[in-house]
Amino acid sequence: MTKKSKGGKEDKTAIETKSKSVSGKSQKQKKPVEKEEELIQESGTDSDYDGDSLSGSLNSDDFDSDIFESEDDVTQGGTEEDGGDGESSQDELLDHEGSIDSEDGDDGSEQIDSDNIEEEDGSDEASDRDEAVEESDSSEDEVAPRNTVGDVPLNWYKDEKHIGYDITGKKITKKERQDKLDSFLASMDDSKNWRKIIDDYNDEEVELTKEESKMVRRLLKGQAPHADFDPYADYVDWFKWTDAIHPLSSAPEPKRRFIPSIWEAKKVVKLVRRIRMGLIKVKKPEEEPEEGPVPYLLWDALTSDQKNKHLTYIPPPKLKLPGHEESYNPSLEYIPTEEEKASYELMFEEDRPKLIPTRFTCLRSIPAYENALKESFERCLDLYLCPRIRKKRINIDPESLKPKLPSRKDLRPYPNSCYLEYKGHTGAVTSISTDSSGQWIASGSTDGSVRIWEVETGRCLKVWQFDEAIKFVAWNPLSSLPVLAIAMGRDLFFLNTELGNDEEQEVIKEMFHSGNIPEPEASVAAIVTWLSDELYGGIKIRHFKNISSIDWHRKGDYLSTVMASGETRGVVLHQLSKKKTQRLPFKIRGLPVCTLFHPSLSYIFVATRKDVRVYNLLKTGLATKKLETGMREISSMAIHPGGDNLIVGSKEGKMCWFDMDLSSKPYKTLKNHPKDITNVAVHRSYPLFASCSEDSTAYVFHGKVYNDLNQNPLIVPLEILRGHSIKGGVLDCKFHPRQPWLFTAGADSIIKLYCH
Amino acid sequence: MDVDGEDVSRRLHVKFVTKLDSPFKVPVNSVAIPSNVTRLGLSSIVNSIIQSDNPEWKTEPFDFLIDGELIRMSLEEFLLAKGISAERTLEIEYIRAVTPRKEEEPSLHDDWVSAVNGSSPRFILTGCYDGLGRVWSSAGSCSHILEGHSGAISSVAVVNSKDAETVTVATASKDRTLRLFKFDADESVDSSTRVTAYKILRGHKASVQSVSAQKSGDMVCSSSWDCTINLWNTNQSTSEGESVPLKKRKGNNQADESQSEGEAVTTLVGHTQCVSSVVWPEHDVIYSASWDHSVRRWDVETGKDSLNLFCGKALNTIDVGGEGSALIAAGGSDPILRVWDPRKPGTSAPVFQFSSHSSWISACKWHRSSWYHLLSASYDGKIMLWDLRTAWPLSIIETHNDKVLSADWWKGENVISGGADSNLRISSGIAIS
Repeated sequence: MTKKSKGGKEDKTAIETKSKSVSGKSQKQKKPVEKEEELIQESGTDSDYDGDSLSGSLNSDDFDSDIFESEDDVTQGGTEEDGGDGESSQDELLDHEGSIDSEDGDDGSEQIDSDNIEEEDGSDEASDRDEAVEESDSSEDEVAPRNTVGDVPLNWYKDEKHIGYDITGKKITKKERQDKLDSFLASMDDSKNWRKIIDDYNDEEVELTKEESKMVRRLLKGQAPHADFDPYADYVDWFKWTDAIHPLSSAPEPKRRFIPSIWEAKKVVKLVRRIRMGLIKVKKPEEEPEEGPVPYLLWDALTSDQKNKHLTYIPPPKLKLPGHEESYNPSLEYIPTEEEKASYELMFEEDRPKLIPTRFTCLRSIPAYENALKESFERCLDLYLCPRIRKKRINIDPESLKPKLPSRKDLRPYPNSCYLEYKGHTGAVTSISTDSSGQWIASGSTDGSVRIWEVETGRCLKVWQFDEAIKFVAWNPLSSLPVLAIAMGRDLFFLNTELGNDEEQEVIKEMFHSGNIPEPEASVAAIVTWLSDELYGGIKIRHFKNISSIDWHRKGDYLSTVMASGETRGVVLHQLSKKKTQRLPFKIRGLPVCTLFHPSLSYIFVATRKDVRVYNLLKTGLATKKLETGMREISSMAIHPGGDNLIVGSKEGKMCWFDMDLSSKPYKTLKNHPKDITNVAVHRSYPLFASCSEDSTAYVFHGKVYNDLNQNPLIVPLEILRGHSIKGGVLDCKFHPRQPWLFTAGADSIIKLYCH
Repeated sequence: MDVDGEDVSRRLHVKFVTKLDSPFKVPVNSVAIPSNVTRLGLSSIVNSIIQSDNPEWKTEPFDFLIDGELIRMSLEEFLLAKGISAERTLEIEYIRAVTPRKEEEPSLHDDWVSAVNGSSPRFILTGCYDGLGRVWSSAGSCSHILEGHSGAISSVAVVNSKDAETVTVATASKDRTLRLFKFDADESVDSSTRVTAYKILRGHKASVQSVSAQKSGDMVCSSSWDCTINLWNTNQSTSEGESVPLKKRKGNNQADESQSEGEAVTTLVGHTQCVSSVVWPEHDVIYSASWDHSVRRWDVETGKDSLNLFCGKALNTIDVGGEGSALIAAGGSDPILRVWDPRKPGTSAPVFQFSSHSSWISACKWHRSSWYHLLSASYDGKIMLWDLRTAWPLSIIETHNDKVLSADWWKGENVISGGADSNLRISSGIAIS
């Protein structure tokens, strides 16, 4: 085991332990070690070296003391003569041993010599030593002293059987020592026995390694124990002479440093006195020069005076700072690929990114470079002139603003798919009407034909051909009187459909008989004339103006016709049974558009261009109610079978629902069609209503009216019915009287039936 | 099992069995077939097996059943869908495919053919929008013309065909009347004989939509747009006697004296809208379908409805048949053919729904002998043959080029149909065992 050489002291202590272990093995072995100790003692420079322990340890070897003393002198003399001649002295020792046994003494010296030679030329050896040096660091720390007796003289245990205590507190018993003869014999047998020394402290035999013996030898020569120790290393001046933050000395600050200088005070008093006397003149500090007008800080946010001046000070909006992608020469990852650019093209314009990063080699090649100055001027101008208003933002979920409507599924049945088409007309179908049972449907077209269709199969049952385009067809609401009223141009026809049974046919024939047309009353003579129609055996009523709309009274006897004429001449009532015509007993303001009989009471609704008036037929006088639609031009009306709710369609695509118990203003206005609404319809029994428009669609709504007066009607859009060709749109729609089906008449000359 | 082919197509061991007679039989050996074959593949396999035994064999389409269900997808998918193990040997029953093999000449009418009836194997009865009923002994040969109606005929029924001598038929018309005709079906067919009604049944207030006869032939029932079902006696009133048929045979247009008028025996009231179709399958039970979205079963004795199924759609046609003649099939104002089983308690949901049509269903008829087969005709111009064992149509007959208004089975293996193209068409050679 070798000890690392850090300084002289440690080496000394290492040697010390060695020297302690030197005691009492054999005389010959101890002698050189003792000599070494002496050498160290002499050559050692450290004043801390404690020679007592050594002497103590030496003292422990009582039995050899005499020999030691005698030999000490010899060795001392030898070293004094020649410090580096340790080897020769050892040789002497060996020779001395050889005096005991002269035969093998030479061998021993040879051995050492050979060792020395090995050391001198063996580079391998050196590397071995280095390794050993490296290892030593940890081994020294790890191996705890076995004997924990402490720093007490070992001779205290001289008479004891133990030498100390191990770490667990057990006694370390002394081993039996070889007697001198045995040790001598052993040294004779083993040439390396001289290396063995006894560690007295731990009471064990230690064999010195080659390195250790070399180290001992170097020490004997007065050299540093390790060969690689450089005693003349360059001096490194670790102290920095530059100023350090902490004082080098920790001495307290002297008192003088805190006491004002009397001399200085005297000098100040002197100066003050002189200034007072005017002997010394002091310059007044110069005032700062007045600056020009202070610039108005336009963007200096939240200056207090600005806040005070204006009640609503609006801080300028904070803009997002430009990022890398807005650079004129962004890095490649910001540049969109061709595919991405193509995908931008497909995007909706508002969703498209505002800025697509592009690369320019230099600023000057940016297209905006030319206008940069002008633009920045304009920007400044904009900032200067822009009016700013406070925008109130409300954070509301847009979904929550939608009215809570029941699901469409729960509102079935309603018409949604077209299965049947009624084809045969050659012109746009302008008007349709179903009979009261729902077995037949009549239609009028611009080609001048009126047709009756079988609803179930789509078969055309009857055709009447006229010269003029048909404006309006209306089936008599009475099932016992299957008569069709047809309006075209200035004429109104009553046609016998011949669908009733024989008795009904008799009644109709009697009614249509040409002979019994009475003379018209003078009041209406200028407006209408009753004629008999030869062609189809019906009755023809010629009006003084073109008819725009007709409506049957629910009892099937009265029919109102509307002409575009003011005052009392615009609407006339025909009575079929008496073949009489009468004017309305009141004046109508504006040009009437269409009329509608109340489904149960004797009221009539007259729609003019902008509003709807309700008149009582039994009382003369003013309108009982005026409904303000707020629409530009009314096109059609339909009334809920309950009679309290009216639907009005307008030519601007709006539809109004009036609850007449509620107000004269619309309860709901639905803006659904982009083009004119041509007609509106309400189902007789199902809670459905519909509108059709020139945009060739028909909308179906759920419109439930509750008996409870406190509950407002429920309106739910259900379905958009498409199918008619775009050109011309849908001109009329009617519900089937008993099924939740909707008939639509298109300008494409087809009537469609939409079923549930 | 071969390992290489496993990922491409697994092989199944199947055994073909049949209830068909000898020329159709194949040896009862199990064969290994790829699992991805469809009906067509199976059919060609069976055909080739038969052909190996019988060189004169003509290829014949087959249909295949596994556990009573028709295969309408690849075998693999079928087994997966039904959860049948592919490990054991499968037993596949094959039947002759139900599909028309031959199309007869169309029989042209003067107007839309609104009604056809094939309940008598001797002739086909048709009704037409020109108000005439026609009797066809075969395709293209009209033996009798039944005249007298002033409106379109909406429905025809054979009242009594068992009598070899004369046959009684009933026609319903949109002129609110029904007429009963008698004629000799075995008469020579050189030229069509004109027949006038021996009895006119008046009483409906609106168009009569449907007529159906009791099995015994004593009574007919009719349904109408006036929401009622009327029952009528078919026997001649006593005064006329047996001479009337003779008179009719001579009789031309002046047969007014020979005609008797009948009045409704009973009226069944309950429907709230047009009763579009009636059938009278048993002695005292009448089924009716109406536009008020209901199917009702009437007890003739009491005149009350004993069953009321709500459908949700306006119905155009009804027929009763199938297993135990108890299933109700009805179609109407949507493309779905529905089949109810009224024996199932507590539910009014249909047990089968067939929805391959694309427009209103105008007619549906059960096959008279098979429990599984029925046909449906639709305004989309198609007639579809259905098997209850699969949700796909067995066969689609697309011979009409306009709406099909009526269709029926004839002689068990023909489908007759009339439509808005004014033709009576006969699709024959349908093999239903």
